[in-house]
Amino acid sequence: MTRIRIQAVSKQFGPTLAVDKVDLEVSSGELFFLLGPSGCGKTTLLRMLAGFVQPDAGQIFFGEQQVTNLPARARDAGMVFQTYALWPHLTVTDNVAYGLKIRGLKRADIAGRVERALKLVRLEGLGTRKPNQLSGGQQQRVALARALVIEPRVFLLDEPLSNLDARLRDEMREEIRRLHKETGLTMVYVTHDQKEALTLADRLAVMHSGRIVQVGRPQEVYNLPVNRFVAGFLGDSNFFAGTVREIRDGDAVVETGLGPLSAARVNSGLAQGMKVYCSIRPHAFAIRPAADSVNAFDARIEQVTYLGEQLRIRAVAAGQALELASVPQLAGSLQAGENVTLGVPADQVIILPDTN
Amino acid sequence: MRWRTKPIELLLLAFFAVFLLYPLAYVFPGSASDEDYAVRLLSFGERPPEVLMILSKARPEAPQVEKVSLPLTVGTFPPARKRNAEELALKLTGAGARADVVRERHWTAFYFQQALGFQIQKREYFPYFQPVPNAPALWECLRNSLLLAAVTTVATTLLCLPLAYWFTRYQFRGRGLLSTLLLVPLIVPPFVGAIGLERLLNRFGTLNLWLMNLGVIQAPIDWLSGGGFIGIVIMQVLHLFPILYLNLAAALANVDTTLEDAARNLGAGEWRVFRTITFPLLLPGYFAGASLVFVWAFTDLGTPLVFNQNKVIPVQIYDQVSDPQRTNSVAYALVVVTLVITAVLFYGARWLVSRQSFIGGGKGAVAASIPNAGRGRTALIYATVLGLTFLTLLPNIGVALTAIAERWTFSPLPESYTSAHLREVWSNRISSLSIQNSIYYSACSTFLDLVLGVTLAWLVIRRPSWLTGFLDGLAMLPLALPGLVLAFGYLTCYSNLNLGGWASVLDPSRNPAPLLIVAYTVRRLPYLTRSAQAGLQQVPPVLEEAAENLGASRWRVLRTITLPLIAANLVAGVILTFAFALLEVSDSLMLAREEKYFPITRAILGLLMRPDDGDNIACALALFAMALLACSLLVANLALGKKLGELFRA
Repeated sequence: MTRIRIQAVSKQFGPTLAVDKVDLEVSSGELFFLLGPSGCGKTTLLRMLAGFVQPDAGQIFFGEQQVTNLPARARDAGMVFQTYALWPHLTVTDNVAYGLKIRGLKRADIAGRVERALKLVRLEGLGTRKPNQLSGGQQQRVALARALVIEPRVFLLDEPLSNLDARLRDEMREEIRRLHKETGLTMVYVTHDQKEALTLADRLAVMHSGRIVQVGRPQEVYNLPVNRFVAGFLGDSNFFAGTVREIRDGDAVVETGLGPLSAARVNSGLAQGMKVYCSIRPHAFAIRPAADSVNAFDARIEQVTYLGEQLRIRAVAAGQALELASVPQLAGSLQAGENVTLGVPADQVIILPDTN
Repeated sequence: MRWRTKPIELLLLAFFAVFLLYPLAYVFPGSASDEDYAVRLLSFGERPPEVLMILSKARPEAPQVEKVSLPLTVGTFPPARKRNAEELALKLTGAGARADVVRERHWTAFYFQQALGFQIQKREYFPYFQPVPNAPALWECLRNSLLLAAVTTVATTLLCLPLAYWFTRYQFRGRGLLSTLLLVPLIVPPFVGAIGLERLLNRFGTLNLWLMNLGVIQAPIDWLSGGGFIGIVIMQVLHLFPILYLNLAAALANVDTTLEDAARNLGAGEWRVFRTITFPLLLPGYFAGASLVFVWAFTDLGTPLVFNQNKVIPVQIYDQVSDPQRTNSVAYALVVVTLVITAVLFYGARWLVSRQSFIGGGKGAVAASIPNAGRGRTALIYATVLGLTFLTLLPNIGVALTAIAERWTFSPLPESYTSAHLREVWSNRISSLSIQNSIYYSACSTFLDLVLGVTLAWLVIRRPSWLTGFLDGLAMLPLALPGLVLAFGYLTCYSNLNLGGWASVLDPSRNPAPLLIVAYTVRRLPYLTRSAQAGLQQVPPVLEEAAENLGASRWRVLRTITLPLIAANLVAGVILTFAFALLEVSDSLMLAREEKYFPITRAILGLLMRPDDGDNIACALALFAMALLACSLLVANLALGKKLGELFRA
């Protein structure tokens, strides 16, 4: 159980600043996610934790130990690589036993621990195979077992599910959740898949251009994004540019292209006349709301797509395209070309600063 | 493996049958058979007593005329000498008789037994017997050759591993230039180098005179004496290391660095990472290169000859083959032994490679960022590469100096310089013609190699069957085959056969050019097909399948997908092939007998034999040949628009 502290860490590759003065703390036993689009610096940050990349500035601590200048081999940070990096010339058992041999364990101990590790990832009986005789999911499990068996201080996962198909990905997601529960390890998990992050993370950090934009629990970050980038990256959202018209007892009214929108949640520091964005999630819209509802406006349905568990609707209101989600029961009653009234509860309108 | 026969495979098979198997088969019986010559007397003619006199001299127990039944076969001694029989026949004819020479071949294990057989001797103590070789001298040669090859291979490995590691894993200023320098030994043929080395190291050569002038030594030291085992090893390592380096660098560049990271992540130190991860993954590439180096060192003829070391197998073969009086001899047994040893090594290496062939996870997996070599490491790399280059060039500096020397006797450096020799390369009929010939032969053979090599590689990797495996084995055979033996096979086989019609173009006594081209092609095909195979092995078949899936024909897939992906390997192979063909020694010396067909190497040798300024013109021609090679490398470099060093990284 090890806490990770990252203090003012920076890394530059040529002209690009890959990681820009990042401060971060991961509590012990936490399943922590680094989330961001490709090129945001999340993998570089993870590789700095593993010791493959030396930060230009800043410090990294595992627990109380400063590891910034420790070589990768001395860090005790088990890592699962995006491509699994299983050694093709070694069997599954030899792959998993590798770290234990380095640690000088007795042969019998190694055999026992390898067996337990393979059992933990449900690969009993496949120890004599070579990696290329395994399916993608099985290879993934070997990679997990290989990193787990050394009982690392921290566990690092670099987009571990990106090479798997959708069904396997769901399965392995549950597997990782279970492994985290059973081992209680401090895990740092890098991904660009917001669904993975939202479903698994204890806490997550959203990264953009080498910086951490927001850190928090999944619900906090999803429901209260700090800016347009986070709102757009975590789930879909509709954005409406506008100006704050008035603020009273925690409510705000923003003048937008759709007309005035009332928002129940107000960030401190909001002032009248400020340029802002209103963010509304697709499922926040009520279609044909009660007559007295707030934030009601007219829209024309452009397209209705049935997705099984939900309906996706494209609509246009005041010249702006909208993305809506709805329960599938409405499927029969909505036609493309139809004009409907839409409403948004005030607490579903999120005001974001216009930082750009 | 399925039984499948395609026209293209049969064509390749026919090529190998005509230009490899048959000439070899023509040589092979010599190792286990003997030719006897006898004179057959057909009639006594008009002076029987005279004939009988001659007969009785030849055979003391000569029969009386009355008891003879014609034709009479008269044996000569020793029976294997053709000339003895011819002389006797001539005498008999001179006496008015009718007689001709008959040749008989009888099979024997005698030469094997004589060359490498054992006798069991009794001993007083356990185990009470002892095998004693019949020819201890030949066993010594075999031991020497194996030891030489082994030491050369180990030394080359120790040199190339760090070089390949530095050049693929670190970024430093001048990397492209330095990696080009590493290929310099390829353009410096040992045959040419030998002339320069001799000039530098002989009793009154530069080194001795220098040391004497400096007062370090009083009398000249004979540097080339004592068999020069170390000298041979150094020469061979200096000449052969680029081959291993290229193989290792290409293999190393294809080892996914995350595989190494994964080991470091689990706590492995750098040496352990190398030993347990990197090296095992390198093994296929390493074996491809190391087996070439081993076999080359084992069958190298030129270097031991320069160093006067004749207790090695190739020199033994050469000595015996070049003696026209002995049509059958121990040499054939030695050739067969050489073939067996090298074949075992080859097929052993191939087996290891096939057991460990990994198709990589795509090139995207190879990490993009290469760390900078620190100041210290950069200095070390520079020192190593420049030092190596200097050592390799040293003998050729001797060549260059000889080429521009006007007077050079008993002084460390020439006393005066002139460009006359260089100009004479153009005006001299032999040298100017030989340059044209060499370029023509080499270009033709390289083109043939490219076609044959790529076809073969594609068949072997993508359409494996017992037949393609067999073809591949045939294509690799020339590596195990001293050029001398193949050339000897061509010469005897295609001169003695009475080829009629269009096939007579192959007759080397009429025009050796076609056979020379074919000899170069066959001898250098392994390098090209190896390069192509190594490339193909690393191109996942799915890339070709994707193109086929989009409707591309076989040929189009090859042209638009496969060839571009293996272009780096092919260019490496083509450069090797062309460079080697240009300065091929043994085939050229054996096959080109007339001046108008001389390639460069034969012309150099011919000029060396000339008195007066022959040396200088020969060296000027050698200098020119090296320049030609350097140009061909440069052209390839420009054509690819990449640094030459990067070429060899897949």
